[in-house]
Amino acid sequence: MRYQSATLLFAASVLAAVGIATPVRAHHAFAAEFDSTQPITLRGSVTRVEWINPHTWIHLDVKDSSGKVIEWMIEGGTPNTLLRRGVDKNSLPAGTEIVVEGYRAKNGTNRANGRDLTLPNGRKLFLGSSGTGAPTDGKDPGETK
Amino acid sequence: MNRWMTQCRVVAAVAMLASIWALTAMASAQQSAEQKPKAPAKAKTWTPPRTPWGEPDLQGVYSNRTITPFERPDEFAGKATLSDAETAELERRVVDRSADKREAKGTEADVSRAYNEFWWDRGTKVTTNRSSLLIDPADGRVPPLTAEAQRRALDEWKQPALRGGGANGRGADTYLDRSLFERCITRGMPGAMSPSAYNNNYRIVQSPGYVVVAIEMLGGARIIPTDGRAHVNGGLRQWMGDSRGHWENNTLVVETTNFTNKTLYRGAAENLRLIEHFTRVDADTIDYRFTVEDPTTFTRSWTVAVPYLRTDEQMFEYACHEGNYGMEGILSGARFEETK
Repeated sequence: MRYQSATLLFAASVLAAVGIATPVRAHHAFAAEFDSTQPITLRGSVTRVEWINPHTWIHLDVKDSSGKVIEWMIEGGTPNTLLRRGVDKNSLPAGTEIVVEGYRAKNGTNRANGRDLTLPNGRKLFLGSSGTGAPTDGKDPGETK
Repeated sequence: MNRWMTQCRVVAAVAMLASIWALTAMASAQQSAEQKPKAPAKAKTWTPPRTPWGEPDLQGVYSNRTITPFERPDEFAGKATLSDAETAELERRVVDRSADKREAKGTEADVSRAYNEFWWDRGTKVTTNRSSLLIDPADGRVPPLTAEAQRRALDEWKQPALRGGGANGRGADTYLDRSLFERCITRGMPGAMSPSAYNNNYRIVQSPGYVVVAIEMLGGARIIPTDGRAHVNGGLRQWMGDSRGHWENNTLVVETTNFTNKTLYRGAAENLRLIEHFTRVDADTIDYRFTVEDPTTFTRSWTVAVPYLRTDEQMFEYACHEGNYGMEGILSGARFEETK
């Protein structure tokens, strides 16, 4: 199975290299960094936000089932896009409780990409900021398609 | 390098050959429909303002974000422009395919998307009624590679130090396997002038004898002399090449040569000759076009047209090296997988 998926990945890379169906994408390959077989949901308290390029990183204290606090790092979007969305490094103050859905890092560390971020009441984080232009998913109360 | 990776690369090389053959056959079949590129569209009634020293004034901040496909999709074969209904359908699909819908959860494709749409800035609208950004050849597809370029691509596969401007590396034995974009070095040319998933902003500034194009993605500015001076010596090679501009009526024409063998644009490297046209066609639009010429790589030259639309957005710094944790994650992830 591993051989098969690796082959597909390599073949896809070659196709991209010769210019066939190259999608518009970010500056690095997320599929090489995070594991699609390890989707993860984390609920925790923000400890700090690294407002850095090329991507922001949110640090989160998460309690495991025994109550032990473990620090997680969540990869977010690029600061420039967030600034244009009306979000800055102070928008997510320490102590904010958030729920993160993403994929765990392949290297087994406590890192994940921030696929979706919501507040504990289910409201999508940052939604309502001006001019997002982002399609909606109907998750939020009052959200219209 | 372990054995299974070697096997993968052999399989992938075969896949690449097959894809090149397929592409060649497809493009040959469509070759008869080719036409010469049309001159950049000129506004019939609109005259661009001039700088105090008399040149067409292109200055301002522009965005080239778009959902218009780079190459023409099969569904629009033979159709260079789209109707309003087809345009609306393309835009509806972008919303429909939104990562917010979570339909692909647990797949590589979903991981590649990385985030829900809030984090991205790739646009939700087409910015032209053309069915592809690529306008010449008339089939809207990149022409086939020459036989020499196909051999070169295979050789490069055997020597995985990557020169490419794409996001996917060819391996993860070392950071040298990863793309120049991932390494925060450059998207090269014309990659740096092409739309991406965010940071699609450019600032054009003019002074007598120069046009400057500041680029938000990965930062940097192209300082283009327009005073008629010759290119630098052919022995001097640069990652972004050596650009020289001149004015033809209302159009800025820029020729870029002297590329290195360290960058790769769809197979083209040091022999690339790039011709760009910047024509301001109304107060808020630059008709931007680039033509790729490299007889050692492509069986014919080809041209892409991307609207640059004026924006009120500010340009921001993008200091990509600041905290490129992604590179560490990719390489250590590969080491971890080898131990499985």
